[in-house]
Amino acid sequence: MAQAAETETGAETLARHVRRFREFLATTDREALAVVGVMSLALLSAFVGFLLVSAYTIVPFAVFLGAAGYGWIRYQGLTARLLMLTMTVSTIVILLLIITFIFYESVPVLVYESTTVLGVSVPGLRMFTQPNWDAVSSPIRYSMVPMIHGTVMVTVIATVVAAPLGIAAALFLSEIAPAPVREFVKPGVEILAGIPSIVYGFIGFTVLSPWASDQFRILGQGTYLFVGVVVGLMALPTIVSVAEDALNTVPESMKSGSLAVGTTDWQTMTSITLPAAFSGVSAAVLLGVGRAIGETMAATVMLRGVPRITDPLYNVFYGQETLTSLIARNYGEADGLQMDALFVAGVILFVTVLVISIGSQYIEWRMRKKFGGDV
Amino acid sequence: MSGATRTRLIRSNTTTAVAVAAISIGIAAVLFGLGFAAMFELIALTGTLVGFPTLTLLGALLVVQGGAVVTFGLGSRFSVVETNPRPDAGAVAAVVFALVWFVGGGIVASQLFGLGLVGWLPAALLTGGVGFAVTVLPGEDIGSTAPAGAVAVLTGLVFLSDLVGAQSVWGLGWEQQASLTAEFMIPVLTVFCALLTGWAAAKAYGGFGARGRRAGAYLLIYLNAGAIVTVLFSLVAFTLFKGLPGLFRGVAVGAGVGPQSTISLFGFGFSFSLPVAWPFVMNGVGLLNEFNGVLPAIVGTFWLVVGAVLFAVPLGVGAAIFLTEYAERGRFTQVVEVATNGLWSTPSIVFGLFGFAFLIPRFGNGKSLLSGMLTLGFMLLPLVVITSREAMLAVPDEYRDASAALGVTKWQTIRSVVLPAALPGVVTGVILGVGRIAGETAPILLTMAGGVFVPGSQTANVLGGFQFTASPPFVANPQLLEATSALPYQLYALITAGVGASGNVGNPDEFRWATALVLLAVVLSFYAVGIVTRYYFRRRLNYE
Repeated sequence: MAQAAETETGAETLARHVRRFREFLATTDREALAVVGVMSLALLSAFVGFLLVSAYTIVPFAVFLGAAGYGWIRYQGLTARLLMLTMTVSTIVILLLIITFIFYESVPVLVYESTTVLGVSVPGLRMFTQPNWDAVSSPIRYSMVPMIHGTVMVTVIATVVAAPLGIAAALFLSEIAPAPVREFVKPGVEILAGIPSIVYGFIGFTVLSPWASDQFRILGQGTYLFVGVVVGLMALPTIVSVAEDALNTVPESMKSGSLAVGTTDWQTMTSITLPAAFSGVSAAVLLGVGRAIGETMAATVMLRGVPRITDPLYNVFYGQETLTSLIARNYGEADGLQMDALFVAGVILFVTVLVISIGSQYIEWRMRKKFGGDV
Repeated sequence: MSGATRTRLIRSNTTTAVAVAAISIGIAAVLFGLGFAAMFELIALTGTLVGFPTLTLLGALLVVQGGAVVTFGLGSRFSVVETNPRPDAGAVAAVVFALVWFVGGGIVASQLFGLGLVGWLPAALLTGGVGFAVTVLPGEDIGSTAPAGAVAVLTGLVFLSDLVGAQSVWGLGWEQQASLTAEFMIPVLTVFCALLTGWAAAKAYGGFGARGRRAGAYLLIYLNAGAIVTVLFSLVAFTLFKGLPGLFRGVAVGAGVGPQSTISLFGFGFSFSLPVAWPFVMNGVGLLNEFNGVLPAIVGTFWLVVGAVLFAVPLGVGAAIFLTEYAERGRFTQVVEVATNGLWSTPSIVFGLFGFAFLIPRFGNGKSLLSGMLTLGFMLLPLVVITSREAMLAVPDEYRDASAALGVTKWQTIRSVVLPAALPGVVTGVILGVGRIAGETAPILLTMAGGVFVPGSQTANVLGGFQFTASPPFVANPQLLEATSALPYQLYALITAGVGASGNVGNPDEFRWATALVLLAVVLSFYAVGIVTRYYFRRRLNYE
């Protein structure tokens, strides 16, 4: 089906859709069409009303509920199908709304932070070319550089911790562990994902941070090193479960074929299973990186909250601020341009993580295609 | 799979050598344990252990261990011990050893001999190169034991010679000052050497070759799995240990000790007192309270979860049905999949920002329970879609065909065949998803918030709050439009409020840990229920 869709041109696709719509109109009876039409119109106007902050949003919504109720009794199949189509579309709508609103809110500060390059004014460029964040005293500057630096530091440390341990644990669960041990370890990894990030942060704040200050003789509390370790621990379950799924998609026949020529199971893993699942495992690491970038509460509680770049750049013993903790710490007293600057941080986070998510989906899709499974 | 390789290949009598390797693994385990004990300050570096100064004991053990590993490699090389080594120790080992020797050589050259960059870089490159060559050029037996053993022996000698004493501090000389102290470096080095030599000894125990590599790798992988479970248990146990005293403060059991509750039915009110008084989960914070608690936050979390589930579950399940049953695979389903996966990985704080920009202006221009519910609902939605879809795809097509053969419509098939069959999977997914969002702080930070110490009068009463009004939007519920507290937010507020703010809570620290424990208990109970449900349904499916 997908191939047929790829080979036909845009005009043909459109013609096919128009034909099917006509068929639908011709084969459905008048009253059902009216109900469906009223439902669609009412829902659409309720949505528009909600977007425009109208107090009368509830009127078209009530009409929609009424039409849906009537349709449910008379034409259940058709109504259910329309409702489900609406629900499916709503996932896309929510993503689009998120994109629209966080971009829209960040526009004013981008205009404020414009710089001219070769006579052309580039909005927002100054946020990335100088390292000062100062929301109080003049000149007021909202630079994202210190926070990007912090996020990169935390993410790199978290990945260094979580990737090898996560892949090893996935191998253990998928290939090595005897069944009773797996039944014990697998829920354990899931529960590790379930511990709320604020609890990780609280333990880090009360136990790890003072300990680190003492051990490394640093001034004050908060180090990128231990925030990275804690965030790595939180990204670990994501890597384990996705990598385990990838290892499980490698067909059993490949493994058995290798074992049949007399290899040990470890040789089978390193020379057959891991290379075959390589793309899936790297998608797992990518998703883990995405989790680490977006982790908020542990970083907020454990970091110092002073937006500056550590000195020297690779000084992991001082933890200043990340993109996520900047938002969580400053939303309260921020308004105007500063609030918009927080939205810029949100945009950077959102775009980075979305690119990572789409990239890892592409990798997984290619892997499934390679093994001839369901794409 | 593991059964296929369990047959022992017959080797000539190597019991003594195997025993030596096993003892070496044992010493590595002891060093590993001692290293961690020293890291958590269970044993003092300056003190004594079984009659010896700790540092001397660690150094001596490292020297013995390194010596044993190197001797085993040499013995295998000169055919004293019969093994099956391969021509080289492998690429991973070569890279690791080259790195270890590079770093070690660099530190020795720059710190011990005080060389500048021009001096230490060539020295580090030289030692790194030697490490690489020793790993790759001789056979596997020398290649995987000598570099590891030598590291352990050298580290042991450094400890013994007092070059790094128990009080040493290595100032890094950075602008933002930091130092590596002996009480950090010595445990870390010990644990690292224990891992390195333990791996080499396990390889030797397996007689090198394919079996040896398997033994070495399995040691590390089992250790890793064990460590993950240990971390999990210690986190939960630590929270439990710190939180229990505050949680059970003032608990009383007996007739009529609890707070008074009223049940009203058809106009008749019936008041009674609960037989249990548990102040921490039944009280708010108040001046007159003997014991303070977090009841408003618990109720807030409850309503948040209910709201998010009511919003996200119908939407998500509907979308999953449409995607699996109605939609043709093509551009549209692909876009929806990308969108759901994108929503799944969107950082929680971005949801918070979105709720702040989108929901708050539309619900009374202030932080409110309703905004919090919907924001968490947006977060829950992709999880519900993904898990319900998986559950529905797992329903065999024969079910659908059999139903269609009876001549019923597609919708009837879905309603009475597909949905019931997929229900266990959907329910499990929803429960696990709820566990995830119940502990989220970041999204409600910007949309709902609440106070640090919340009085009991602020407990949300959503059901009682509905009222009809004459002006649009005609239905109002002030309870929904007010900010209330929730457990994760309250914990965050308690942490950031610091030690100074105590409300009139007698012991703020105990109060914080008890809040953390309640939050952990609420979230983990969702997970426990979800995991048990899945286990139960899977077993039932297996036996059918």
